[in-house]
Amino acid sequence: MDKKTVSTIAYLSRLSLDEENGEKITKDLENIIKFVNQLEDANTQNIEPLSSPLEKTAKTREDKVTAQNRKDIFLERSPKSNDDYFLVPRVVE
Amino acid sequence: MSIQYKTINELSQMLKSRDISNKELIQETFNLIDANLHLNAFITLNKDASLLKAEELDKNLSLQPLSGIPIAQKDLFCTKDLRTTCGSNMLSNFIPPYSATVIENLENAGCVSVGKTNMDEFAMGSSNETSFYGNVQNPWGDKLVPGGSSGGSAAAVAAGIVPAASGTDTGGSIRQPASLCGISGLKPTYGRISRWGMIAFASSLDQAGPMARTAEDCALLLNQMCSHDLKDTTSLDETIPDFTENLDKPIKGLKIGLVKEFDLSQLDKEVVKVFEESKKQYETLGAEFIEISLPNISLSVPTYYVVAPAECSSNLSRFDGVKFGKRCDDPKDLEELYIKTRSEGFGDEVKRRILIGSYVLSAGFYDAYYKKAQQVRRLIKNDFDDAFKKVDVIMSPTTRGAAFEEGSKGDDPIQMYLEDLFTIPANLAGLPALSIPNGMVDGKPIGLQLIGNFLEENKLLRAAHNFQLSTDWHKKTPKRDIQS
Amino acid sequence: MSWETVIGLEIHVQLSTDSKLFSGGSTSFGAEPNTHVDLIDLGLPGVLPVANRGAFYKAIRFGLATNAEINLTSTFDRKNYFYPDLPKGYQITQMALPVIGKGSIKIEVDGEEKVINITRAHLEEDAGKSIHDLFEGETGVDLNRAGTPLLEIVSEPEISNAKEAVAYFKAIRQIVTFLDICDGNMAQGSMRCDVNVSLKKIGDDKLGTRAEIKNINSFKFIEKAINYEIGRQARILESGESVVQETRLYDSVKNETRSMRSKEEANDYRYFPCPDLLPVVISDDELNEIKNNLPELPNEKEKRYIEESNLDISEAKIIASSKTMANMFEEACAKTDDSKLIANWLVGDISALLNKDNIDLEESKLTSNNFAVLIERISDKTISGKIAKSVLEEIWESGGSVDEIIETKGLVQIQDESLIEEIALKIINGNPSQVEAFKDGKDKLFGFFVGQVMKETQGKANPQSVNEILKKLLS
Repeated sequence: MDKKTVSTIAYLSRLSLDEENGEKITKDLENIIKFVNQLEDANTQNIEPLSSPLEKTAKTREDKVTAQNRKDIFLERSPKSNDDYFLVPRVVE
Repeated sequence: MSIQYKTINELSQMLKSRDISNKELIQETFNLIDANLHLNAFITLNKDASLLKAEELDKNLSLQPLSGIPIAQKDLFCTKDLRTTCGSNMLSNFIPPYSATVIENLENAGCVSVGKTNMDEFAMGSSNETSFYGNVQNPWGDKLVPGGSSGGSAAAVAAGIVPAASGTDTGGSIRQPASLCGISGLKPTYGRISRWGMIAFASSLDQAGPMARTAEDCALLLNQMCSHDLKDTTSLDETIPDFTENLDKPIKGLKIGLVKEFDLSQLDKEVVKVFEESKKQYETLGAEFIEISLPNISLSVPTYYVVAPAECSSNLSRFDGVKFGKRCDDPKDLEELYIKTRSEGFGDEVKRRILIGSYVLSAGFYDAYYKKAQQVRRLIKNDFDDAFKKVDVIMSPTTRGAAFEEGSKGDDPIQMYLEDLFTIPANLAGLPALSIPNGMVDGKPIGLQLIGNFLEENKLLRAAHNFQLSTDWHKKTPKRDIQS
Repeated sequence: MSWETVIGLEIHVQLSTDSKLFSGGSTSFGAEPNTHVDLIDLGLPGVLPVANRGAFYKAIRFGLATNAEINLTSTFDRKNYFYPDLPKGYQITQMALPVIGKGSIKIEVDGEEKVINITRAHLEEDAGKSIHDLFEGETGVDLNRAGTPLLEIVSEPEISNAKEAVAYFKAIRQIVTFLDICDGNMAQGSMRCDVNVSLKKIGDDKLGTRAEIKNINSFKFIEKAINYEIGRQARILESGESVVQETRLYDSVKNETRSMRSKEEANDYRYFPCPDLLPVVISDDELNEIKNNLPELPNEKEKRYIEESNLDISEAKIIASSKTMANMFEEACAKTDDSKLIANWLVGDISALLNKDNIDLEESKLTSNNFAVLIERISDKTISGKIAKSVLEEIWESGGSVDEIIETKGLVQIQDESLIEEIALKIINGNPSQVEAFKDGKDKLFGFFVGQVMKETQGKANPQSVNEILKKLLS
């Protein structure tokens, strides 16, 4: 796995790979990918991918408002907020 | 009167005949917890609320099925106003504003949630060595792992601290620790138990389940844990039977499948010996063994290690330091907020799985990995469907061996992944499976796995219960009995 | 060097359901920040989405109105990326199997009709809002909007210039408002659009590299942004360089587009089927129910107004083109059986006021109810047409109720014929020379008498009666 791929994947996951663990993790990833490459051998022609073990369709909800206002508890239990908003460092678009 | 190692039925009886009051029972439970702190089985205790509930129960005679039974809840279930960490630094300060459906179900049935148990971080692991809160000790020996990810729950039951614990099983996280700790644990059919409030690891694989001293106790718990929940659209709408019904009905004629592709000759001789003994025991009970083939079973572990990381990489994206959980100190911009919070908040195994997950879903790799794995998953499921046309249940060892030493799996994550060889297939296919103790290897317990067809937990529990009626592996307790 | 412009529009329409796409949180606009946030909208660990059937019904209405393929079974996927107002770190959308497939819509530009094909329309959840300018050094996140259902409508790249783009956008807006699936309120962000622009040499089959201009929410800006972008790309291509495929933002102050994304890795959304949501199936019965209850579309209304209400083509077209105006027309007709009168007011006075203030009818202070009452009072002769104009102007400026204004300002029309006759006689007797001149043949002086009677009655005399009585007395 080349360095660029690893750093792209790390960025997509918002994880940093520093000097210390970067090499180890890259090695681990390579080994794991090598391990899962076994899947290549399976004959899956015309096989529909399975995304859920349940062969059924979804139950849906009626269009009704059922939620209560829980702003206070949500903001109180958040890492950083004021009376009205969750706060993050200024985003520049 | 000692409560250690008692089953749910035994404790219920004691409460009914006033041999012990609810308050005494709970107080004793906390004494046991205190006497076993070295196991590190608990992350958060719920003492005040538990004693309060016990007092209430003493005042008002309750007819609830599990009235007064102390239970340890895996710290992956949200418990309202009680810290829920998932074994992670990321949630070390997380106080959920709501409770999981399964927690509510158990508490409505009268259970007293005494505390949240330690676990592998975000349910990723097979030894409870990845928790931010330290390793859990297997009550059966110093420096032995209890298995994972439900290591704390398994240890709490194995040490006789509580008769019951909730666990979750994504690739074997109930069954494998049950095996290594010498207790009984069951993963039901996918969808039997609501996932509302269960912190998601791999959504199409996760299932909650009971962990207890006997299959019968598992059935008692399962009765209360299952429900059809409109808040979880993957929750089954099927009738929930009484899982305790007809448990001791004889199993003469039960067809048990042995998987051709599980090459047991690779296992330790002692492990094979235990398994063969169990086979003989089942033959005595009237069961019939049939060889079945699951041709794609050898691809289970690689399939799992594509699907589970993919789903978890997405499920864990919500941990970003914005709305809940930990945030890094003084981030200078948004990028740093995300990267530093997540890098500090997650341990190495979680990071590895997130990275693998992002990789197998990324453009250019999706078809070769994720799509391919989901196709193989269907092949594996089809194999099971065919097998269950011929047999009632499938039997195998739960694990390749007994509890191993902390740190002994070395630096290679794949060695740890292969621990789940026997357990993973049932998760991929969404089938129910359980583990019961069936022998000892080097003085350490080991488990027997039974896999059933869709919705056939009854068959599994009956087969397990019958085994437990005629053997006493499930009655064994660790040599070091720490009394309160 | 001649370039051909190729434009495709992705329009995000906020569906007017009561609750969100996957939770019971309220979708109503303008609430205090973070008060319409459900556990599910916050993305708390352990929560699970449950799809809102009402959102599907609204999406299907759109499919029916655009003759589109309707996928009665559709699935959901996750689109993964990080942003503060995206609580789960992924958006639930429909990538692989959207509820609405290929359809089409007619647009009209400078009298010419053109059909624009629609590739697909799918359901997805909206994100919350990031407020950048309120707090020093920080951005505030309001999750009220998070989870609101959106219908993303994707056009084929068949639009050739800015005018067509605006016409297409307007046509979509008209359809979604008439179908009652979106309130069409641009100021509130009920409809937003991303524009893809590319250039190619005339006659070339291969499409050029396109740039995407994100999040434009006004007709005016769509036109300006496109024209700027065409110019920008032409300049690049003329100089022999290539256009970079990227996302851009339109700056309305500087009237230019700017490149947005700094890292192209950020574009890998790693779509995969959402494991928490099983496929949603709409039954044939439900489809038929929706078909049978589809609200009337503009061309149907036009036809009906012409046939049943006797409007002429131009009147019908104007009134049927806006849902608000059509509603106003129909509500007034229900109270007063004089469609021509009603149409005159809408096409005449009211349209003039709209033009003067450069607003849409829904932005005005005139309510359907007020208009209906106004017409009623003209029809039952409580007030004259002229007085009604002043009442209308009063309401236009400051709102209020028709009856209250009539009452407070004492505008009730004088209908009493004996009283009018009395006043007319007074005027006639007081102006003998004009009477003489009129009887001699100066017909125009009739207006003088009418004017004097009106002045005497502060304009409140019923003009018809005044005319008749004066005619009688002066003959």
